[in-house]
Amino acid sequence: MNAISARGLTKTYRSPRKAQGLLASLRSLWHREHTVITAVSELDLELAPGETVGFLGPNGAGKTTTLKMLAGLIEPTAGTVRVLGYDSTQRPPELLRRLTLVMGNKQQLLWDLPPSETFELNRALYDVDRARFARIRDELVDLLALGSVIDRPARNLSLGERMKCELAAGLIHEPEVLFLDEPTIGLDVSMQVAVRQFIADWSRRHGATVLLTSHYMDDIAALCSRVVVIDGGRLRYDGALTALAERYAPERAVRIRLARPPVEPVGPLAVVGQELVGQVPAAAVPELLARVMATGEVLEVSVEPQPLEDALRRLFGGAA
Amino acid sequence: MSDARRVRPILRALGASWRAAWMTALAYRANFLADAVVTLFAAGATVLPVLFVFHGQETIAGWTASEALLVTGAFVVLQGLVEAAVEPNLRGLVDDIRFGTLDYVLLRPVDPQLLVSFRRLVPQRLVYSVGGFVILGVAASRLPEPPGLWAISAALTLLGVGAAVMYALWLLVVSTAFWFVRVDNLSYLLTSAMDAARWPIDVFRPVFRVLFSVVVPLGLMTTTPALALRGVLEPTSALSGLGVAVVFCAVSRAVWVRALRHYSSASS
Repeated sequence: MNAISARGLTKTYRSPRKAQGLLASLRSLWHREHTVITAVSELDLELAPGETVGFLGPNGAGKTTTLKMLAGLIEPTAGTVRVLGYDSTQRPPELLRRLTLVMGNKQQLLWDLPPSETFELNRALYDVDRARFARIRDELVDLLALGSVIDRPARNLSLGERMKCELAAGLIHEPEVLFLDEPTIGLDVSMQVAVRQFIADWSRRHGATVLLTSHYMDDIAALCSRVVVIDGGRLRYDGALTALAERYAPERAVRIRLARPPVEPVGPLAVVGQELVGQVPAAAVPELLARVMATGEVLEVSVEPQPLEDALRRLFGGAA
Repeated sequence: MSDARRVRPILRALGASWRAAWMTALAYRANFLADAVVTLFAAGATVLPVLFVFHGQETIAGWTASEALLVTGAFVVLQGLVEAAVEPNLRGLVDDIRFGTLDYVLLRPVDPQLLVSFRRLVPQRLVYSVGGFVILGVAASRLPEPPGLWAISAALTLLGVGAAVMYALWLLVVSTAFWFVRVDNLSYLLTSAMDAARWPIDVFRPVFRVLFSVVVPLGLMTTTPALALRGVLEPTSALSGLGVAVVFCAVSRAVWVRALRHYSSASS
């Protein structure tokens, strides 16, 4: 049985539409026009237990709406959702005890109290017995290096500390399914790495199923071997991350430093000072390198895959 | 599932939420104490209009000043509950809907109506209710025949019924926030209408008496408990009051469940 299974998932909204200006505002008092917006359209999605999947798409693609439908927060207009075998639209308590949704831009911590109090509140709400609670809390404090942080009022914590506590608060009931909506948003690089490492450790230890959205491709590359990409509410890609990169960013950034400045370009490699630099199709790299190495003047070679962002830009029809 | 197994998680959730609410209130000591003192004075001040109106008059619409103060006392008790437990939660719901923080409430394995309705508490406002009980006690002691145990029990039960009706009215109003988002005007209207409950229902014109008996049953909330303390309450009135409360609670629950289906959360 899949941990998450969605079929034909669709969500449409009626959104008020108003022309610009005071007159239009007055008119909208008695005559309001609406536009029907399709946030998600006939999305099929399956996640096996223990799988960590990156959920990608540009802003407004429908990622968060999908996560909220999967978590049972908003009702789909059409389609079916089953999480751990339950119909999540009914929000059965048995399911809610086994899933979590952590949102990087919304907080559940009690603002005026230390995070330890939010943990205690969640312990009661999720009916976690005290021994199990102590074990999970200690594990979270250890993995997230929370230490004394959990005893200071949430309002006095830095953004990074708060985000780590948000994650801990969302996991105190040891859920099997994690919906993580941009958990590293706004964090500095070192904090992003810490949160990323934590998610990897936690999902490995607990065998959790994770559906993760992030605009930081480093998060996705570090955590997900499979990605699902949506745009305009429709599924655009579902498969291995490596295959996505090969399909939409098949070139390599090649940089070769030579003992002497080269006299002419080599294939697609241009001359830049003492280096040959250029984008080369992956399949052509070995032959090209062999040609340059044959000159016997190579000091240093660097071959880098294109950033994932480039693959996504091409997928979304942006700059190639 | 047995009743005990249904009730236990509710009590546990309420206990944990109120514990957090108390700690939040006590985190700002000066504000807590100042608010408690001001609230106590405000509760005391509610008797002044009654004393003023009854100055030089033995009775108004069949009520003496002491009897009217029973209504005022019941009103202050209920108003304290509104300010301490009902209003902070249900006004907070409007923000939860606007900013999408209702998401976290809906993810808990506890009835969301319960969490939304009672997780916030402004404990210092309970002083208002304490003041109301003091007014009730003083007014009852000045009656020609102080109420017996039966009358006091009936009055307390009817106060509970009144609290349930008041909660149901608030829930009905804030449930509309799922459609309209901003419901400030409706809640102000309700607050203003509630103010009429500080007077015995008999002092109003007949049309308002009907209005305050059936449409917005303010009379049920405060006049009925006062009648019980006076020992003049008809059993049929008490039973019909109970019936009205059950209907209001059932209707507000149905509206809440329907409203929740319109929750669209806020964008990320």
